[in-house]
Amino acid sequence: MNPILVEIYSTVIPSAPYLIAAYALLWAALLVYVLMIMRGTKRAEAQMRLLEEAVAEQASRSRSER
Amino acid sequence: MTKKTTKLPETGQWPDRVAPAVLVAGALLTTVGFLMAFLVVPPVGGAAVGGAELIGGSLISNKLLISQKIFFFHMPVAMVSFCALAFAAYYCVWFLVTREQRFDTCAKIAMEISLLFVVMTMITGEMWTRFEWGVWWTWEPRLTTYLVLMLIVIAYLVLRNMIDEPERRATFSAVIGIIAFVDVPICFMVTRLIPSSIHPVVVREGGMSPEMGLCVGVIMAGMLCVGFALYRLRFRQVRLEQRVEAVKELLED
Repeated sequence: MNPILVEIYSTVIPSAPYLIAAYALLWAALLVYVLMIMRGTKRAEAQMRLLEEAVAEQASRSRSER
Repeated sequence: MTKKTTKLPETGQWPDRVAPAVLVAGALLTTVGFLMAFLVVPPVGGAAVGGAELIGGSLISNKLLISQKIFFFHMPVAMVSFCALAFAAYYCVWFLVTREQRFDTCAKIAMEISLLFVVMTMITGEMWTRFEWGVWWTWEPRLTTYLVLMLIVIAYLVLRNMIDEPERRATFSAVIGIIAFVDVPICFMVTRLIPSSIHPVVVREGGMSPEMGLCVGVIMAGMLCVGFALYRLRFRQVRLEQRVEAVKELLED
């Protein structure tokens, strides 16, 4: 292969792992945070549903007692 | 005389209505920026080689530095981390003025977002430093001030978990939030103020071609959109959790 081309492209392959790692880890960090938010929201929504049921139950019980 | 009431940030307001569209815009802009970085912007030249070759219609006589492509995301995420810290400081000041817990909640979420972007800046920066400078870490002024910034943000979040009393926790946190923001201009200007700094300063050196500037602009707009959408998603989650706690307390009473 042309020695000048070899020299021109000499840093491309050695830098590739760092370049790929930089982009992959950047998106991984974003993804982890999004997943944490989604998990937290789902848990809070489930708790809210349970509380709504508990409130409804309490309301119907107090109505029947009257 | 009527007392002026402070309008509190709440879920369901216009920012929540636009947040999904903003998130999609952010994803699109960052994808376009990513493609531009690799397909439109030509690679930056490094050390000169002993000759010249015609590549893609241009005469190349330097080593092609592909590692520089990291910069296209590194700088925008760093700028977004500064923006998030500015918002955090704004809410910290509002908390100290009004003593409304809602502003403390907003400040906490903005700090979380800033930590996320600080971590992303550190990751991309570390990868570039390792390849270009041959070390994982060096006590260079920009890196050091940015590390200090990251430690202050972490200290803010750790402190919040250590204090139970909400009023005291919010007051101490607000002070640390403002201190964190004070480090932002120091961090930004340090490479300009200390000549021995080896961190590249592309804006001062005029090292950005129009294509590079456009690419950085597109990715920065995209990352700002992503940061905003994440802030609103997290705010929605935290407010929902606060409502759950409030209803639980009511039921227990």
